[in-house]
Amino acid sequence: MTRKLSEMDYDQKGIVVRIEKSLRGQLAGMGIREGKKIKMLTKQPIKGPVVVTVDRSNTSLGLGLADKIVVLVEE
Amino acid sequence: MNKVLLMGQPNVGKSVFFNRLAGTSVAESNYPGTTVDYTIGHMRVDGRDVEIIDVPGTFSLQPKDRAEDVAVRMLEEATDALVVCVIDATKMERGLYQALEIIEKGYPVVIALNMWDMAKKANVKIDTQKLEQILGVPVVPTVAPRGEGFKELVSRMKEVTPVEIEGISSRAGDSVRTQ
Repeated sequence: MTRKLSEMDYDQKGIVVRIEKSLRGQLAGMGIREGKKIKMLTKQPIKGPVVVTVDRSNTSLGLGLADKIVVLVEE
Repeated sequence: MNKVLLMGQPNVGKSVFFNRLAGTSVAESNYPGTTVDYTIGHMRVDGRDVEIIDVPGTFSLQPKDRAEDVAVRMLEEATDALVVCVIDATKMERGLYQALEIIEKGYPVVIALNMWDMAKKANVKIDTQKLEQILGVPVVPTVAPRGEGFKELVSRMKEVTPVEIEGISSRAGDSVRTQ
């Protein structure tokens, strides 16, 4: 099942399957690219940023960015 | 080469690195027209006095905030600079991504794999010789707080020249095929 990164639940894991083209360069610099394993750590309230784990490091992303990343979620 | 730029992502140890290399006479200034500041000092490379600049940390060369914008502008203005790419050895992928961006722009680059001790502890194994062979630039493991690897790093600054990105991708392709 695929979901937007912004819609993942806490502790949910998945693999990034799609990133909007214009954002690929910027996200690659944060270690996020298509095919990468990703885990949702926290979502901040009131449309705050999400924090995800990629390659053992935590990265926070604005909700706007997280909206444009599609993840194949582990069941 | 009359300038050395220290570049890397946030929190890779650039400033400790800078303090190791620059010694005492250090100045801090603002990038004109912004509140982003950077540190500037001097070091000796091959018997010559060169300027060394601690560039603000940036995730990529596509700036998404003020500090990153300054970092990219500083790189673009320093056309004859040597760039030391400081990479957190435990987070190789994103560090290499940035190093490749800088190599692609035609700068002579030395890669410092900082936090080498942490990488060892985390059981991250890195074949630096293979990396060097693929990238065509010096790759030196370092531990900034203890000064490990710095002698080698400085001595290898003399030998660097810009490399073609196409060469890197074809060499990377070869090594992927043979494995």
